[in-house]
Amino acid sequence: MHFQLAWRNIWRNPKRTVVIMTAIIIGVWSMIFLGALMRGISDGMVRNGIATLTGHIQVHHKGYRNDPVVENSMIDPEVVKTAMERVLPAGAQWASRVRVNAVANNARHTAGVTFVGIDPAREARISFIGKAVTEGRYLRDDDKYGIVAGKALVDKFETKLGRKIIMMSQDTDREIASRAFRIVGIFEAEMQSTEKQFIFVTKTAAQHMLKLENGISEISIILPDQEGVKQVADNLRAAVPSADYEVQTWRELLPLITAYLAIYDGFMYIWFIVVFIAMGFGIVNTTLMAVFERIREFGLFKALGMKPRWIIKEVLAESFFILLIGTAIGNVLSFLSVFALSGNGIDLSALASGLEFAGMSRIIYPAIYSHDVIVANLVVFILGLLVSVYPAVKAARFTPVEALTHT
Amino acid sequence: MKKYSMAKKIILSLWLVLFLCGLGADAKAQDAQALVKASFNYMRGKTSISTVVMTIHRPDWQRTMTIKAWTKGQEDSIFRIIAPARDSGNGTLKRGREMWTYNPKINRVIKIPPSMMSQAWMGSDFSNNDLSKSESLINDYTHTITGTETHEGKKVYVIKSMPKPEAPVVWGMQKLKLREDHIFLVQEFYDEDFQPVKIMTTLQIRMLGGKLFPGVWKMQKSDVKDEYTMLEYKELVFDKDLPDRLLTLSSLKTPTR
Repeated sequence: MHFQLAWRNIWRNPKRTVVIMTAIIIGVWSMIFLGALMRGISDGMVRNGIATLTGHIQVHHKGYRNDPVVENSMIDPEVVKTAMERVLPAGAQWASRVRVNAVANNARHTAGVTFVGIDPAREARISFIGKAVTEGRYLRDDDKYGIVAGKALVDKFETKLGRKIIMMSQDTDREIASRAFRIVGIFEAEMQSTEKQFIFVTKTAAQHMLKLENGISEISIILPDQEGVKQVADNLRAAVPSADYEVQTWRELLPLITAYLAIYDGFMYIWFIVVFIAMGFGIVNTTLMAVFERIREFGLFKALGMKPRWIIKEVLAESFFILLIGTAIGNVLSFLSVFALSGNGIDLSALASGLEFAGMSRIIYPAIYSHDVIVANLVVFILGLLVSVYPAVKAARFTPVEALTHT
Repeated sequence: MKKYSMAKKIILSLWLVLFLCGLGADAKAQDAQALVKASFNYMRGKTSISTVVMTIHRPDWQRTMTIKAWTKGQEDSIFRIIAPARDSGNGTLKRGREMWTYNPKINRVIKIPPSMMSQAWMGSDFSNNDLSKSESLINDYTHTITGTETHEGKKVYVIKSMPKPEAPVVWGMQKLKLREDHIFLVQEFYDEDFQPVKIMTTLQIRMLGGKLFPGVWKMQKSDVKDEYTMLEYKELVFDKDLPDRLLTLSSLKTPTR
């Protein structure tokens, strides 16, 4: 009975009901939509981080992470390869690289870069570079002097395809090794800093230049399923000699991004609470008004023998309907907005340099996480009902005599 | 000791890359390769001891320092700043392709890492690479004589030097002018579009250390005006025996030499 009563009551003053519903709709929409945006940003950061030569798991020689020099290379990577064959789940991809700091030179410019020797076919399956070449071509196994450089670096060097870049670094004899490469491809990356930082040659060319023989600097692994990363890393760690090798997951390799993720989580819940507090005052205020307007009515109910508990239920039922309709529409709207943006994302290229500072991508694709949606809805719903208890109790306390004297 | 050709190592080092000169130019030095090599050797000598005033000129400032330099053989040299007092004692040692610098204020010898090889040497228009890769002009280029001119009554060969395809050199081309008596007159550096990047010229050719030698060397960037580095020889002695201990790290730290 009180549901029927409540339903009719909320439409006695449609204007007021619509106003408060709008507040709830906007609140829910902003919680879910902004949450999805934030998740989109952090997902993009993780995706970028992993594709920018990190992978899910990496294996290094002990000490390489602290001092990425050629002396800390894995001289005989076979041990690791055998261990990986045993431990990695089906569908996992991996590639080995030579990766050292080096100096790139041409006649007019010079820059410090990360010089990466890759296995072209394998690398293409695990990192961004396979699809990133926009001019010229990707590396081939037989490219002894071919180099793929980022667009930003090529522009800075005032050079182009077919031109020379001289690389200098320290070889295993601690001598300065230098070698002339020709630009065969130019890549574009999500971030300009990536384009400026990395320069790619084939693994054999890098090994030859640095006198590494079969040595490599790191092995990067991509798993088919991100969830199992920690388990696989533990297994692999147990399978390689721990005195010589380090195995790390992307969370350890990208501590900054891991920290960002934690901050975003916290920030989102704070945002939910802030939105709700604003919305909660609206709900209390409206319901309170609706209650005071009907003092005589409640007095009459009481006089007719309605129990205070029922009055509370009736008022709460009104809030319940308003919240239900409001959150439902809010959810639908936010899903629609996310859906509308999921195709092209939000292009922030104009602000790219500022975003890069924070490690963000140029394009944000909002991502809906089911637990964010559930949390947002529960917060609105439960807290919404909770704050309505106050006006409901108020209503239940009116006595018939009070109501009579109220004009 | 025979005094015939010495080079200033200092210069040599500095200019190595920058310029080469032809020696053995007379007679049938049609072969550009031999011409360049001969000039190179003429300018260098077996050993040399020199005092050079280096002037670094920029539009709004100018700095002068006096450097004493010892060179030995093709690849080893040591430089020490002797004036002004503020910089006195700073030194650079080059052995083979490796270089170290010493700063007396912090009492430290620093090995120059690859990352600093392309940087300017002591703030001048010469880079560390110009010093450390001096032999590059002989080993990494193919030389062709493209013409002749005359200079002070002597024949000058104009030589075009193209880097060998896989040679690790940044230049797209160098142009040299070598006088028939092995004196380097001009060394010009071009990028891969054959646009000039910097040019080194020598002036005031006179008797120095017992042979004809340019007294002034000037290195200038091509696309900026009024910026150059000039080396002026005050004293120069060639082919004097140098003790081996002179070209060592410990000698680099000893301010007396």
